[in-house]
Amino acid sequence: MNNATKRIVASLWTAYWVGALLAWPSAAQTVRGDDIAVVVHPDTPVSDLSLADVRKVLLGERQYWTTKLPVVLLIRAPVARERDVVLRVIYQMSESQFKQYWVAKIFRAEAASPPKIVYSNDVELQLVAAMPGSIAFVDARNVRPGLKVLRVDGQLPGDRNYPLR
Amino acid sequence: MHRGLFAIAVVLLAGYSAWGQNPPLANQAEQVRSLLERVERLEKRVAELEAKQPATTMVTDTMPGAAPSQKPEAEQAVPQPTLENSMKGHMDQNTVGQAETHYPALQIRGFADVDFSATDQPGTTSGFNLGQLDLHLASALSQKISYFGEMTFNAHPTGYTVEVERSIVRYDYNDFFKLSFGRYHTPIGYWNTAFHHGAWLQTTIDRPEMVKVGGEFTPIHFVGFLAEGNIPSGGAGLAYSLGVGNGRGDIITRPGDAGDNNNNRAWVANIFSRPARLYGLQFGASVYRDKISMGGGNDFREWIASAHVAWTRGDPELLAEFENVNHKSILTNTVSNSNAFYVQVGYRLPGLEKTLKPYYRFEYIHTPKSEVVFGDLGLVESIVGLRYDISSYAAFKAEYRHANRQVLSTPTFNGVVNGLFLQTSFTF
Repeated sequence: MNNATKRIVASLWTAYWVGALLAWPSAAQTVRGDDIAVVVHPDTPVSDLSLADVRKVLLGERQYWTTKLPVVLLIRAPVARERDVVLRVIYQMSESQFKQYWVAKIFRAEAASPPKIVYSNDVELQLVAAMPGSIAFVDARNVRPGLKVLRVDGQLPGDRNYPLR
Repeated sequence: MHRGLFAIAVVLLAGYSAWGQNPPLANQAEQVRSLLERVERLEKRVAELEAKQPATTMVTDTMPGAAPSQKPEAEQAVPQPTLENSMKGHMDQNTVGQAETHYPALQIRGFADVDFSATDQPGTTSGFNLGQLDLHLASALSQKISYFGEMTFNAHPTGYTVEVERSIVRYDYNDFFKLSFGRYHTPIGYWNTAFHHGAWLQTTIDRPEMVKVGGEFTPIHFVGFLAEGNIPSGGAGLAYSLGVGNGRGDIITRPGDAGDNNNNRAWVANIFSRPARLYGLQFGASVYRDKISMGGGNDFREWIASAHVAWTRGDPELLAEFENVNHKSILTNTVSNSNAFYVQVGYRLPGLEKTLKPYYRFEYIHTPKSEVVFGDLGLVESIVGLRYDISSYAAFKAEYRHANRQVLSTPTFNGVVNGLFLQTSFTF
């Protein structure tokens, strides 16, 4: 084996191990990092919802947690990954269909206002912490202590069968 | 993306160092660690920049269509780090204050359409016409009280008329009980409460004949009160509405806006299901009871029974509705049953960002000769059309219709009408 061949083999070997090193810490994070957590104000009297229930809330078919506590929907603005996941998995709609859905919903007098549009995860988390009844969808890595993360179909972000990713 | 670039950079760096020397694993691990730390610092910095967006643009409560897209991060203002702590508390309060709903929270939306029609019906002319200009108001008056209004401006040969289509004030106790008063679209069947006067919302150019605005078959409007809400039913997704009101007026196409024309209130009950397992499906049934006074003691009992099924996901779309109208003369006990149905199918084609939707609708109305309240509404019609969504808020529609109307048939005309219809409809 000449020197040039040795160097190529050494480079490949190095690349393999560096790749493995990089992959190892992220493997634990991948599931959690890709997951979108459903967070609610800590006083919200729910802790586990089925995906169908989450859909009901997002479709505006369930508008009250309790008689005195209305649901406040917070959704990220277009382009955010959280919004993409919510539209794809829960609404099963394109951006256009989502907009049309809420125009129709209000036109039918089924809701008085659309979801509140939020422009950053940080603001979204502040609002969830401050507004009773609020529900938001944030990257699980950004969830802060003090907020309630809901189980969806009995799963938390990071669990193997968690549906929102 | 950062991780991908980072991985490439590390591989290149590692390869380069290995080219000149044997692989020193300790140094590489060190490099990896320092690069990971750098990525972590960058991620933290991105989070900080996100948090420092101007408070005025952080939350909007506008209709989805009006929501501006997220600004690219490069455009966002970055406050001086020294101000961060002093601004933070102020920003939090501002953000929350903005996000809270301030009452009354009025929102206005409009719908409009422009149409073209050409048919082979004798005595008609082809040409353009301005459709309805429809204004919709929605205003939360408090956490539990809302107002909804709908007004239309309608073109006529001698000018325009303004019509209050809906005017509703509603109190929401919870999801299971909402009580409202006002003028409604009667919750019979599906179409009448799904699309109202928004031509842009419906796939086709016009409503089916059986629920046509200004038509006789279905009482389109209703003045009174309505209780509605969900029924605790788990995955069945049941909901109801129950209403009592004035019912049909002296002119049976209109409700008793200024008061009932007899001492008998109409009532309506509607129940439907949106099963959780079949997202997009709705099916239900309605009944409506009224007494129609046509003057001169010529009164009739009216029973309307209706059933509907709707699959609204678009690929495919299926809407079907059936209605039977029973009239019994109080004077003579003569009974008549008129019935009508439509079936509409559409499919949003996968290409062109799903902007094209071909559709077909079959409509049928039968009124027996014993029917006195209605005229001859007999109809068999097929509609083939194509809807093209020019944008999220505007559509272009083209239809060919083939209709057989009994009422038009004469010794010289068989009552069959063919026509081409075009429409551009939009919301604003």
